[in-house]
Amino acid sequence: MRSISRKIRKLTADLLDVPQDVVFDLPRMTMIGNRQLYIENHRGVLQFSSDKLRLALSKGELEVGGSELVIRAIWTEEVFIEGQIDHIQLHGQGEGTK
Amino acid sequence: MKLSWLQTVQGVVTVSIRGERQEELVNEATSEKIGLSAIRCTKQGELECEVTVGDFFRLRPHLKRTGCRIHVKERRGLPFWLRKLERRKFFAAGLFLFFVGLYALSSLVWTIEVKGNEKLTRDQIMQAAQEEGVYPFQWSFRMKELDDISKHLVAKLPGVSWIGVDRQGTKVTIQVVESTTPPPLPLYSPRHLVASVDAVVTEVRAETGKPLVAKNRKVKKGDILISGIIGNDGNTKTVVAKGDVLGLVWYVYEIESPLNQKVKVYTGESKTKWHLLLGNRTLQVWGFGKPEFERYEAVETQHQLAWRNWTLPLGRVKEQLMEVREDVRRLSEEEAKQTGLLEAKAVILEKAGKDARIVEQNILHEKTENGKVYMKVFFEVEQSIAKERAIVQMQGE
Repeated sequence: MRSISRKIRKLTADLLDVPQDVVFDLPRMTMIGNRQLYIENHRGVLQFSSDKLRLALSKGELEVGGSELVIRAIWTEEVFIEGQIDHIQLHGQGEGTK
Repeated sequence: MKLSWLQTVQGVVTVSIRGERQEELVNEATSEKIGLSAIRCTKQGELECEVTVGDFFRLRPHLKRTGCRIHVKERRGLPFWLRKLERRKFFAAGLFLFFVGLYALSSLVWTIEVKGNEKLTRDQIMQAAQEEGVYPFQWSFRMKELDDISKHLVAKLPGVSWIGVDRQGTKVTIQVVESTTPPPLPLYSPRHLVASVDAVVTEVRAETGKPLVAKNRKVKKGDILISGIIGNDGNTKTVVAKGDVLGLVWYVYEIESPLNQKVKVYTGESKTKWHLLLGNRTLQVWGFGKPEFERYEAVETQHQLAWRNWTLPLGRVKEQLMEVREDVRRLSEEEAKQTGLLEAKAVILEKAGKDARIVEQNILHEKTENGKVYMKVFFEVEQSIAKERAIVQMQGE
């Protein structure tokens, strides 16, 4: 049942040319060099240290690696990170990443 | 971290959070809309962040639930600053006094400027202004309305038509416009008014002095009309007699008026000459040669180059020569008589003054001889007959 609704959503997204993050509740990331990172659509902090930040997503999780990371500001759906960002990894995105 | 003005007013504390479930605390705080900002990890595994004072107290219950402990490291912003000020009372008092002093000194009138006075002295105006409550070191809020002040000043100062009072900050400007008075009348020495011709008085208008004649009195040349000596015997005073006396004066004229009159007429023939004007010299450039006619009148028109107010020494002169013919016109006797009379009247009016009026005219005798009309005409003219004569003080009188 859920896979059917997802297929319909994908179809409408393709047909209507709507951004995928709106339809699938996917995170949208805006990155300025390796200094600033702005993430929308997160579901909370899982782990935070100065070299690693793990964020929960609606499906799966996001890992930001780097050094001297600082959460400049955090709201319910958005987070604004500063510091030296080395890598970003996405885990468990399932078929959405196909 | 630089604080926004809103944060400054609210007050911001930097806190460090210890405990195992720090992430959980952050998530809970976020869902409660508690604004944590600049979250960073320290080397000791503590979480450091900044939070406003209001949000700090809302954070408390979540700390208990997540088993975290909080420690305030730094306080910034207006609430803490005020607390500090409370302890430093004299400093606070000084600060307050400074602002009070600044306000008080800026609401004083420091300078008064007087503009536009010529006859009135600055001191006079300042004196009047002081009575109206405008003087240096006056509180500007104790001053009356500027319009009222200017009205009262106009009433107080003599010879002033308008006064404008304007205040800009600590400076009051009094703009004075003085009224212009006519120049004083010239002085005369005491005098009589005497008759300039023999006449019959028709009207006496005396301004100063004692009128000695009345209407219908016959006066001789030199008779005193308005005396400059007033008062009764023993108690007299000399004045400048002023006024006017009108009288009827008789004139008899012998007029001769020719029957043939010469008249100048333009024939319409003309010749134009052009000259170039350089400075104050002219140079003919067009229309050389003598005109074909003998008698002519020349009419010159000058055009000079000019731009705005600047006149250049360069221009052209047009000289038009117009042929003139002299015609002889033959008048009838009646016409010749009228022309003669008109000429005679013009001469009389010129002699008797502008406001003279011809009351009566009578042709006594008239004849036509040798192409001329001879007439003897009597005119009765009403005119001013007063003439000034200075009173000479007798020595030893």
